[in-house]
Amino acid sequence: MSDPQIDLSARVFSEGFGLITASGYINNEGGQAVADAATDLVGRGCKSLLVDLEGTRIINSIGVSILLEIMEKLMEGGGELAFCSLTPTIAKTFEIMGLDQYAQVFSDRETALSRLIGTVDG
Amino acid sequence: MEVVLHLPVVPNVELVAAKAVETLGEALGMHRNGIEAASVATVEACLNAMEHGGGSVVVRLVREDETMPRLRVEVEDKGPGFDPDARPLNDSTRVDGCPSKRGWGLTLIRELMDDVQIISGPGRTVVRMWKDLGRER
Repeated sequence: MSDPQIDLSARVFSEGFGLITASGYINNEGGQAVADAATDLVGRGCKSLLVDLEGTRIINSIGVSILLEIMEKLMEGGGELAFCSLTPTIAKTFEIMGLDQYAQVFSDRETALSRLIGTVDG
Repeated sequence: MEVVLHLPVVPNVELVAAKAVETLGEALGMHRNGIEAASVATVEACLNAMEHGGGSVVVRLVREDETMPRLRVEVEDKGPGFDPDARPLNDSTRVDGCPSKRGWGLTLIRELMDDVQIISGPGRTVVRMWKDLGRER
């Protein structure tokens, strides 16, 4: 189903734009790991972030709550948060909790990058 | 076909229940989306039971064929109980500017499952929920 340990990577993909990939259980610890990566990227000049959840099959409401807090902080700074590669259940969970009202959701990373920054090459 | 789990309150133990839902769901031929929805709902029910129940949690997974093939998931705790009618569905508009983002568990359970029944009183709460085996979502 899902490993309790989250496998996460984060990098500045292009000027002002950061990419986080997270695979595993998005609970309080997984959500906080994404939040810490987001904070680091914002500190490195990223105003907008894409979180790729390819490989994440299960989440809980506490983890999504932390993602909501990341989104609010980015929006306060004039930035934005986007997600891609969501399972149908995770997409529905985002919809139920209202995350998709403020964060763009894309089917896959390639689509997200081409729409957000016009390139898929970092 | 029935699975019964007695879960101690230890970190990430809810994933044991999710794994059981996945395994039984696959054995019963459930659609992948249905399995994942039932898994997330089960995780939420377990987290609520562990947070408010104050002790170990019992999870039962049962195949039902009364009206249509369904997976029934029950999550039981021995906590003080609560009034489920006093917990209306959350609304996604609550997100905007709301300082507290907790308390979505029951809403997710009700939205992700096909049917939900909550029996709660002092010393025993059972969240009973069903997912149709044939549905994609």
